[in-house]
Amino acid sequence: MAKLPLTEQQLIEAYGPHLNEAPPGGWDAGLEIDRVVNTHCCFCGQQCGIKLKVRDNAVVGFEPWYEFPFNEGKLCPKGVKRYLQGSHPDRLLHPMERDPAAPGGFRQVSWDHALDRVVGEIRRIQQTYGDDAFAMLSGVSLTNEKSYLVGKFARLGLHTANLDYNGRYCMVSAGAGSKKALGVDRSPNPWSDIPLADVVWIAGSNVAETFPITTSYIWRARDRGAKLIVQDPRVVPLARTADLFLGVRPGTDSALFGAVLHTLIRRDWLDHEFVDAHTLDFDDAVAAVADMTPRWAADITGVPAARIEQAAEWWGSSATGMLLHARGIEQHTKGVDNVLAAINLGLATGKFGKPGCGVSTITGQGNGQGGREHGHKCDQLPGNRDISNPEHRAHVASVWGCDESEIPGKGIPAQEIIEAIHAGKIKGLLSICFNPLVSSPDSNFTAAALDRLEFYSVIEFFLSETAQHADVVLPGSLHEEDEGTATSGEGRIIKINAAVEPPGEAHLDWQILLDIAERLGKGKYFPYKNTQEIFEELRLASAGGTADYLGATWDRIENEMGLFWPIPEIGHPGTPRLFEGGRFFHPDGKARFHGVPFKESAEVVDDEYPVWLTTGRVVSQYLSGTQTRRIAGLVAQYPEPLCEMHPQLAERIGVTDGDIVTVTSRRGDITLPARVVNTIRPDTVFIPYHWPGAKAANQLTNRAVDPISKMPEFKVAAVRIARSPGHVETTDRRDLELHEGPS
Amino acid sequence: MSLDRRGVIWGLVGVAVTLALTFLGSDRLVWFDAALLGYLFGLIFAVFGVVYRYAVWIRRPPTAMLNRRGWDAFRQRKARNVAALPSLVATQLLTQGFIRRRSRTRWFAHQLVFWGCILAALVTFPLTLGLLHFESVGQQADRYQVFISRVGTLRFDAASTFGWLIFHALDIAAVLVLAGVFIFLRRRLRDPGAMAVERSGDFLALAGLFAVSVTGLFLTVSSKWLEGRFYSALNTIHALTVILGLMYLPFGKLFHIFQRPGNLGVVYYKRANDEGPPAVCRRCGLAFASAQQVADLKEVLPQVGFDYGMDGGGNYQDTCPRCRRVQLTLAQSARVGGFG
Amino acid sequence: MRYGIDDSPVFVIDQSRCIGCEACVQACMECGTHRGQSLIHLERIDQATTTQTAPMVCMHCEDPTCAQVCPADAIKQTEDGIVQSALKPRCIGCSNCVLACPFGVPKYIADFDQMMKCDMCTDRTSEGYAPMCASVCPSEALWYGTIEKFNETRSGSLLRDFMFGRQEVRTKVYTVVDELGAGALDVFAPTRSHWLDDPFGLEQEALDG
Repeated sequence: MAKLPLTEQQLIEAYGPHLNEAPPGGWDAGLEIDRVVNTHCCFCGQQCGIKLKVRDNAVVGFEPWYEFPFNEGKLCPKGVKRYLQGSHPDRLLHPMERDPAAPGGFRQVSWDHALDRVVGEIRRIQQTYGDDAFAMLSGVSLTNEKSYLVGKFARLGLHTANLDYNGRYCMVSAGAGSKKALGVDRSPNPWSDIPLADVVWIAGSNVAETFPITTSYIWRARDRGAKLIVQDPRVVPLARTADLFLGVRPGTDSALFGAVLHTLIRRDWLDHEFVDAHTLDFDDAVAAVADMTPRWAADITGVPAARIEQAAEWWGSSATGMLLHARGIEQHTKGVDNVLAAINLGLATGKFGKPGCGVSTITGQGNGQGGREHGHKCDQLPGNRDISNPEHRAHVASVWGCDESEIPGKGIPAQEIIEAIHAGKIKGLLSICFNPLVSSPDSNFTAAALDRLEFYSVIEFFLSETAQHADVVLPGSLHEEDEGTATSGEGRIIKINAAVEPPGEAHLDWQILLDIAERLGKGKYFPYKNTQEIFEELRLASAGGTADYLGATWDRIENEMGLFWPIPEIGHPGTPRLFEGGRFFHPDGKARFHGVPFKESAEVVDDEYPVWLTTGRVVSQYLSGTQTRRIAGLVAQYPEPLCEMHPQLAERIGVTDGDIVTVTSRRGDITLPARVVNTIRPDTVFIPYHWPGAKAANQLTNRAVDPISKMPEFKVAAVRIARSPGHVETTDRRDLELHEGPS
Repeated sequence: MSLDRRGVIWGLVGVAVTLALTFLGSDRLVWFDAALLGYLFGLIFAVFGVVYRYAVWIRRPPTAMLNRRGWDAFRQRKARNVAALPSLVATQLLTQGFIRRRSRTRWFAHQLVFWGCILAALVTFPLTLGLLHFESVGQQADRYQVFISRVGTLRFDAASTFGWLIFHALDIAAVLVLAGVFIFLRRRLRDPGAMAVERSGDFLALAGLFAVSVTGLFLTVSSKWLEGRFYSALNTIHALTVILGLMYLPFGKLFHIFQRPGNLGVVYYKRANDEGPPAVCRRCGLAFASAQQVADLKEVLPQVGFDYGMDGGGNYQDTCPRCRRVQLTLAQSARVGGFG
Repeated sequence: MRYGIDDSPVFVIDQSRCIGCEACVQACMECGTHRGQSLIHLERIDQATTTQTAPMVCMHCEDPTCAQVCPADAIKQTEDGIVQSALKPRCIGCSNCVLACPFGVPKYIADFDQMMKCDMCTDRTSEGYAPMCASVCPSEALWYGTIEKFNETRSGSLLRDFMFGRQEVRTKVYTVVDELGAGALDVFAPTRSHWLDDPFGLEQEALDG
């Protein structure tokens, strides 16, 4: 019965998003504080160090943490304002049960009542429809400890195979590609390698807006004379200063990479020694790009052939170089292909395992790295183990103290869970830190799916748009309310410290899971008294896996400002740079080339839907916006989605900046203001995805997924655009300051 | 440092006026209280200092310009401007909403100090100058009449509430000021930001207000509860703090009391300017200020040593602030590789 | 890191590196001397044609125009050359400084009927800490540190002389240029073009037919 208890508007009035503008007590409250807590920002995989100022069990401000080596005090606007998510009027303080008659649509209930109801429904659904009919969705805003616990809880507590996580929409193409080619899913480099690169190639990553801190690393390379190449359908802020811009058409990255490899081979800008000694299957890659000339690629990608050859020359003829990619090349039905094609460029030129060399993804979500290592992916067990591998199962079963047969098999990934809910195969759902209504493709479909659940419960700190559908809401904990570890995009394990205690009746997430497990009669598997005990077990469970945390202790992590895995034994220094000496993680130590033929995206433009749509982020918002849409300063920066388009396209459909347009795909439509800029390809429009309901860009996107990673194709859809009545000023609010003038 | 001649003349005029006021107001010194002579000296020094500094200040080019334009604006639409005056005085000078909007605590503290000082000044200065005195009414020991110069005004019963208020006006003022001073001090000590921009004068002003208020209150304590013990010593100390306080007036932070009314001139100036034509930016073509104010600035700038003229003609000051920032960025970017 | 007096750290603004993320705008609000009020400027130059943005902190002129045109004598310079916000008791809200500042820095805050401006986070710099904006700036467009550190880690030269028409202004804050030889930064000098004039190769395409 997971339908909205009231209208969307009524729910928003009751539970927000409301805007938190000032710290508790107001700006005028003075700056007296009780203590300062060293921890990290929760708003992306860079995991910048930050100090939170605490007074009276409330976070009241921040201070730059200059000593933390990754960011040395730097923060993006989300980091600066991150502290305002605490003491928020929307914070969920009590367990609640869906009740359309109650004001706000939910009535407050006791923890006992809420947990009994949840457990009762889990039992009923599993007894009626089978264990796997109850699914769990999780998120990588959770710490390593919680991610690990969720994996164990779903398998041993819920005994369901169907657990997956929101990294399915973020990191999985990169992970799958890396594993296939390199044998491990981790960035090959610490970020301190970037300044050592002579070429920095940013492919499909709006670094300035989504990983702002990385900008300073790139500039340190450029200050040494490095060339910067940016590959993007938009002239993103970093591209403005680039030496070379590859304005690629959405969905054609593998053609561009192929043409670059073609050129490297033709001009013999290759590291033959490296290829021979450390790789396999180079011939496959060569064969696949035989016809991929720069001219051919220019037609497909829209990037002038001369620029493609220039990129190949710089990449092929420089001693060091790093190619950093992100969702722009990964969120495709051929996301894994794109990643493999990028890695091919690194392998062909020997750019791995050396200072300033590497092809690396930039992990997106807060704990996107650590959260995808320890078992809350549908096919995974801790230490990045495979749930289908008998040896891996046996090891984990021995740590968990269960029989190997008690661990369910491989489940289905997030998008398929939503499809299975829609198809009536999955009847019950428990979710934590996941807002699929905003973040899943084809949001109308997702909404319809949620309505078909017989029972839905969430563990959340704010009532997200998805949580509005819940039958039982369990108030969990915010990032700053619990301690644990996370692993940043560099592969650096870091310590998250608790600054405050959960307010009201809210509980720590892990305690809620323990309480449910206890009521399910599985308490014996979850004897933890604190999160450190969970970590101690995680270390053992991960030991021997690729993501080996055995030697990492909380003390060392904190004292050494992070440790890079693998750390296979106590006292091990950690492994900042992977593949040194050309040793890759496949059993034979060799990396694999892959032949990557060019394929079109699942949906291509036609006469009916003639414009490419690509989606992405803005700097002031994080993911589905559950947290950042509640912080006034961040909302003011970019209050609602705009449809970015080139003047040529705007002229064709007769709109000017600020005119309202309706963008329609085969799945839905969205009406929003046009922002006319010549920093985007004329055949492409861009809409950021952070908003729900009628403002959701994901109303338009395609549910088609990558066959290997199961990543949906967020970055390419075919749309048509028409002018709608109305006009707003999209003029930047900073311009207004002038026009109001001093009066 | 040499004294400004015109400042000295104006200062002396101020002193002369004060003395004349004393002489006439006290009915040729009949009602002048010789015990308050020290206060009178302090006051005369303060008058000289304040008038001197004001005279120097008002002649600085930007101040003189604003002074002239403020009055021009006032005269331009005199009827309307006179009619607007009471509410302007109330909001800009008395209730001080502009402080309240910045910080309620700060505003509350400032109001306490402000009204405390006003009250104290209203009592002390007329008393000192002999403009105000009290006489008992006939043979009634507990009935008094307020005299302003020679003119008897209202009568009151010493034991009545009104009487109590009259005789304790300075105590009340002291309590108000002290409360305000404490709030200010607490803010300053708790707020590292405020501490950082602290100027030595800020603490001095608070210390002065504190000293005057506390020593004044001690006089009441002595007469009420200590049967007048230490009274004369305390009286001397109080007189000293007041005299020092008066002498500090022209130099320190408290001079803003005399500058602040200039804000009314600004209000009239801006209102008049809003009705005139706008200045249009030479770069973006948008209106950004009043043409009058930009013209006035272009006149004042050379007087204070700046030449923002452009070689190709025109003046840099005709650029709006936003375009100044934008243009600087473009110029800088052009000198580091040319992107932009 | 905390600087000592002998380190003589300097503030450097390299506008060309700005990515427009507004971390500085948000952080400025956290500065202890003006909590809740952001005083830094950040403009989009021309949203329709470029993602270039223009950050502006107070440059702290050696002879500040703002102070010279203040009728209330409300703008003071500290001994180490920081031009402070208008003294609250004195400022009469005339906006002369807002209009006259060659860099367009002071802000008139209508609610307070007062000018406020960047004071280089006096609360922080006086204790040896970097200002808020330069602490957080992800691209190091705003930077605070010693001149030695700058020369060690960054390209370009530090310059603090600017020409506004005939008026030359020297500031405490530095900007960055490739070559010092060209002298003071002339703000109305013509700007150069770049590939950005045709980012997607459209004009080339048209030429190729």
